[in-house]
Amino acid sequence: MNTATPRLSARGLVKHFGSTTALAGVDVDLAGGESLAVMGPSGSGKSTLLHCIAGILLPDSGAVALDGREVGGLSDRERSLLRRRRYGFVFQFGQLLSELPAIENVALPAMLLGTSRRDATELAGRWLVSLGLAGMEGRRPGELSGGQAQRVAVARALITGPAVVFADEPTGALDQTTGHDVMRILTETTKAAGASLVVVTHDAQVADWCDRRIEVRDGLVRAGLVDETTAAR
Amino acid sequence: MNAVLALAPRLQRAGGRDARVTTGLAITAFAVSTGLTLSVVGGLLGFAARADLPLAPGENDIRSLYESLAWVAVILLVVPLVTLGGGAARLGVARRDARLATLRLLGATPREVVGLTVAETAWQGLVGAVLGIVLYAALLPLCALLPFQGTTFTLAELWVGWQGLVIALAAVPLLAALSGAFSLRRVNVSPLGVARRETPKKMTWLRAVVAVVGIGTFMLVSAVVGALGAAAVAALLGAMAVGFATLNAVGPWVLGLVGRAQLRRAATPARLLAARRLLDDPKAAWRVVGGLGLAGFAAGALAVVPSITAVDTSQDPQGAILMDDLVTGAMVTLVVAFLLAAVSAGIAQAASVLDRRREIALLNLAGTPVELHDAVRRRTVLVPLLFVAVGSAVTALVMFFPLLGLSAVMSPEGPLMLVAFLAGGCALVFAATETSRSLLRSVLADTVVRAD
Repeated sequence: MNTATPRLSARGLVKHFGSTTALAGVDVDLAGGESLAVMGPSGSGKSTLLHCIAGILLPDSGAVALDGREVGGLSDRERSLLRRRRYGFVFQFGQLLSELPAIENVALPAMLLGTSRRDATELAGRWLVSLGLAGMEGRRPGELSGGQAQRVAVARALITGPAVVFADEPTGALDQTTGHDVMRILTETTKAAGASLVVVTHDAQVADWCDRRIEVRDGLVRAGLVDETTAAR
Repeated sequence: MNAVLALAPRLQRAGGRDARVTTGLAITAFAVSTGLTLSVVGGLLGFAARADLPLAPGENDIRSLYESLAWVAVILLVVPLVTLGGGAARLGVARRDARLATLRLLGATPREVVGLTVAETAWQGLVGAVLGIVLYAALLPLCALLPFQGTTFTLAELWVGWQGLVIALAAVPLLAALSGAFSLRRVNVSPLGVARRETPKKMTWLRAVVAVVGIGTFMLVSAVVGALGAAAVAALLGAMAVGFATLNAVGPWVLGLVGRAQLRRAATPARLLAARRLLDDPKAAWRVVGGLGLAGFAAGALAVVPSITAVDTSQDPQGAILMDDLVTGAMVTLVVAFLLAAVSAGIAQAASVLDRRREIALLNLAGTPVELHDAVRRRTVLVPLLFVAVGSAVTALVMFFPLLGLSAVMSPEGPLMLVAFLAGGCALVFAATETSRSLLRSVLADTVVRAD
């Protein structure tokens, strides 16, 4: 494990939903360029953990820091800005905007950060080509296969040069072969871009693509699996 | 009972808050359209009843003229009323389509899926019709305050009769069910159809041809009618209805062109998304602003009224009353038309927010600013709104030119009334769509949305 100041650090995260304890004191560190798989069965708290470390949810107690800067004290608006500028997201079904063609789906986050439409579109085009989607720039999400849509989602997550990419079950809607293809692209491109990666998954084969994995059970990181380095690739 | 149909109430309850809000919006739309339709029909029956009364000594018989004018008002209002009712049946269509597509994947037959939708919308239509009757009853005393022909109406004159209420209770659920079933075509083609959004088919320029032919026919008929006198009023009314329907057909096509032009110039994310959304489904945009388009058309048609009434009636008390009544009738028609437009727009916009719930929540989760959602929502209404309001009013002025000549614009009161109603109507529709702002906020507040 990288001993330098972690890019993303969470300490003692506790989160309750009513009487249910989703997180009961979780510690996680993520180094720059590192990929981490968060595993666990349904309802174990892994998605809550992702939401807390991504600044979507505020933990009831505990702290999250990005590059050493505490994010828990930020306002809702500041956390939105943080997510827009420093994070990228890949969801299970891609969640692309159905009315936009692939290239505009990718260009949109860059435009949101102030890049002109022309420059954002040009950059998006380069990302699509680099992810093997040349010629599909004008296709709408409904005209793409599941794997192609996820590759567009990967390009969308990376176009702004984020510090961390969060992927919530990115292969959950794909067959095994396509899922592996998407994970290869996700891990390779994220690493090449110098970004860290957090993948929430219940699939051990998907987790194998990451540098490291942890398992969340009953709101706790299960002992024995923390910091386990994945050998298989 | 069929097992799938037996699921209808359970599925409705399982829909949670969104389903309740959508159902509430649909019922409101059915209630407003039923209540106002009954009020308009009541007014028509009132004028018809007065036409049968014996004439006072020395009185000229202009009562059939009142009846004809009442028919003009009905024709001007019938399309906005039908549009509102039809829109209600399509509310929450994206969410419902997804649910029904899942049932199709699980083996429900097309007939069962249609049956489920028919049952759902018919039930909403029935509840809306009952509430609409209550609304009609509440409006009756207000309508009775309107002075026409020198006196106000009695409640009995405006009463549509028990048979009228029974017809409403039967017709509204029937029309709702038909409209709901019609909106399900995609699900029946393929269970996967709704999940796979594809590039929409372009609407062809044939719609423009239909519009030119419709407007031309109207102008020709009205010119001939002008030459023949009042002999062909029925033909003119029919042609006006055709013109109105023409506007409804060409409106979405024109909005598609507006979206295309907007897309070329879109430099910001909000403009890009708004333009794409307009281009993606101009028919949906027309459902939001079309009511105002039809109201704008009515305002354009009625802009002539002040110039007609600007005659010296000091020696003709009956003529003076007629002139006052023309202005009152025009005002009432326009107020109802713009109210319908506002209700249509507000409901359609709220339904759109709910249909896009997941997409909005996930964008928010990824850090998209709330202002962007608001700006897109506002732009998708405002740009078509202004275009449609002005465009439809100009269309009406052009269509009525052979009949009215320059009188519509010669008297300053006509254009002033037109501008005032268009400005007021736009403000009203905009205010109605802004009510979905709080709904958007509540959607954004629900940040814990799983992608699955």
